[in-house]
Amino acid sequence: MDKLERLLNLTAELLNTARPITAGEIHRRMAAAYPAALDSFRRSFERDKADLRSIGVPLRSSPTPGTDPPVEGYHIRRGEYAGRDPGLAPDELAALHLASNLVRLEGGVGSAFTKLGGPFAAPAGGDDPDGAGSGGAGDPAPVGALPFDEPLAALVEGAARRRVAAFVYNGEARTVEPGRLSFSRGHWYLSGWDRDREAERVFRVDRMTGPVTLGGPTAHARPPAGDIGPLLGWELGDAEPVEARVSVDADQAAWASHVTGADGEPQPDGSVVLTLKVRNPDAFRSLVLSFLDRAEVLAPEELRGAVIDWLEAMANREQGRR
Amino acid sequence: MSARLTAAERMARLLGVIPWVVARDGALIDEMTARFDYPRDQLLADLTEVLFFVGVHPYTPDTLIEVDIADEVVHIRYADWFSQPLRLSAEEAARLLIAGRSVLALTPEGESGSGAATAGEPADDGAGPLLRALAKLGLVLGDEAGASVEVSLGYAPRATLQTLRRAVEDRRRVEIEYYSYHRDRLTARAVDPALVFSDHGHWYLSGWCHRAGAERVFRVDRIRRVTPTETRVEVDLSRREAPTPAPDPDDPVVTIRLTEAAAWAAEQYPVLERRDLDGGGVEVRMVASETWLARLLMRLGPEAEVVERDPAIPPDLVASTAARILERYRSGP
Repeated sequence: MDKLERLLNLTAELLNTARPITAGEIHRRMAAAYPAALDSFRRSFERDKADLRSIGVPLRSSPTPGTDPPVEGYHIRRGEYAGRDPGLAPDELAALHLASNLVRLEGGVGSAFTKLGGPFAAPAGGDDPDGAGSGGAGDPAPVGALPFDEPLAALVEGAARRRVAAFVYNGEARTVEPGRLSFSRGHWYLSGWDRDREAERVFRVDRMTGPVTLGGPTAHARPPAGDIGPLLGWELGDAEPVEARVSVDADQAAWASHVTGADGEPQPDGSVVLTLKVRNPDAFRSLVLSFLDRAEVLAPEELRGAVIDWLEAMANREQGRR
Repeated sequence: MSARLTAAERMARLLGVIPWVVARDGALIDEMTARFDYPRDQLLADLTEVLFFVGVHPYTPDTLIEVDIADEVVHIRYADWFSQPLRLSAEEAARLLIAGRSVLALTPEGESGSGAATAGEPADDGAGPLLRALAKLGLVLGDEAGASVEVSLGYAPRATLQTLRRAVEDRRRVEIEYYSYHRDRLTARAVDPALVFSDHGHWYLSGWCHRAGAERVFRVDRIRRVTPTETRVEVDLSRREAPTPAPDPDDPVVTIRLTEAAAWAAEQYPVLERRDLDGGGVEVRMVASETWLARLLMRLGPEAEVVERDPAIPPDLVASTAARILERYRSGP
């Protein structure tokens, strides 16, 4: 028997049953589909379960009623299998499909479009005022590619449903009311209310470890929308913010303003003095040193001293080795 | 076009096909093939040789799905279990939302203020189809889905991007002044532009560089000045796929050992080879110009060590660079 037929029959059987049914019962009901030998059946059944889950069929296992000791039973709840149809009109579906072709996400969009009824709108008279054309050979060249970090799905859901998210960050457990996911300069960031620190915080999503779990409803308002600009390494930290002043030479001034998003005060010699809010001294040092000898920390003294110490250690490390 | 589909891939397609056909009370085979990317022969075989026998115990005719094909039109009946499509997962919805928000950020629709595709609000007739689609995704993901994601594909000056996009469209050569971060040098170049695209948060221009006599990829935010010309492009690089931004292949190759704390650099920059070390560190071989390498080593400090270098890289790069920067600090602010 074709494996597809077996997968379909198994799914129909599990959707059809009102109560969980045991593997033995499935074996009996689908005797024509599975091998008779118990261990071969077990192996096939395990593979089939994995295949169904891989395409998103919500297969559940729970103790079968009336068994003692409890025997694991399987079923699919109709309410979990089918969702609320977002009811996308053909032009909306086409626009979404075009968007997912223009901006390619790492890992693609899964079988989303199959579930939505297929993206390939039949060309209706050739008129296409929205530029949302049909798929296939005419796919436009992509304009962008984005990473998709594993915790994003849960965080987006948490932000959309206003539910608290728990995760591990820098080795510490954090409980955060997710406000917004922002992609900026190559990284995904979560901004939201940190319950333990009782303050707004920003987190790099790719630095989260382990799964994100969603909890109860949030209490704080979402941070204001808009400018994703100032998501900069030296501003992401738990230290009290310090105002640092950095001088950058004329030939790097425009670049420095671009990188930091700070206009700075132009000096008569063409150089510029940038004022930055620093919450993460390590990231700040890293920024300043990326300009090599064309930038210098002017103030405060402790940040300037930290850069000097760092450089001296490096100069000595190399000399000691020779 | 596609290779043979696996049983799971056919299953995923059929679970989309069945409710779609049922809802329409019949559908054309060709349309099903196109819509669901389902090769025609495979689709026909799966409908007539497989789906026809699907049902529940005891598999008597009254428990089986009915498939009927006549004059290129398919009817499917008694498929109650599969009459609704599988639920869109939160991850799939999030992915669609992110792609959609990214594209909105490129259009005037998305740039006018908040561009709020606030889900849950009644879809505005005046809104474009993408905005309406994102609003409806809120039904799957949560009412405030639209407000929960924002994407910036890059921060290059809008005027530069516009000039470059127009040049690509009109197939005109541009002259650019380009700041090479790797070399720390400003150069003037004539480029036949092929594509403007965003990769991991930065805008790039790819095209034929007449100065290098080769194809090059430029970061748009490092283009200091762009001047369109009347010259038609000579080299045709028009393509569907964006090239991967990569360092200059003529640059030297070095091997660097990174501690766990610096291992991010192996993800951030293109590497030729990587080897994971005990204790979370990593050793990478990468293409690196001298200036770029100096910057990286200054930033990483004790967390990085060059273990093998091209003769073009001075052996005392770290010490001499550190000393040069220190000199500036010693002469006082």
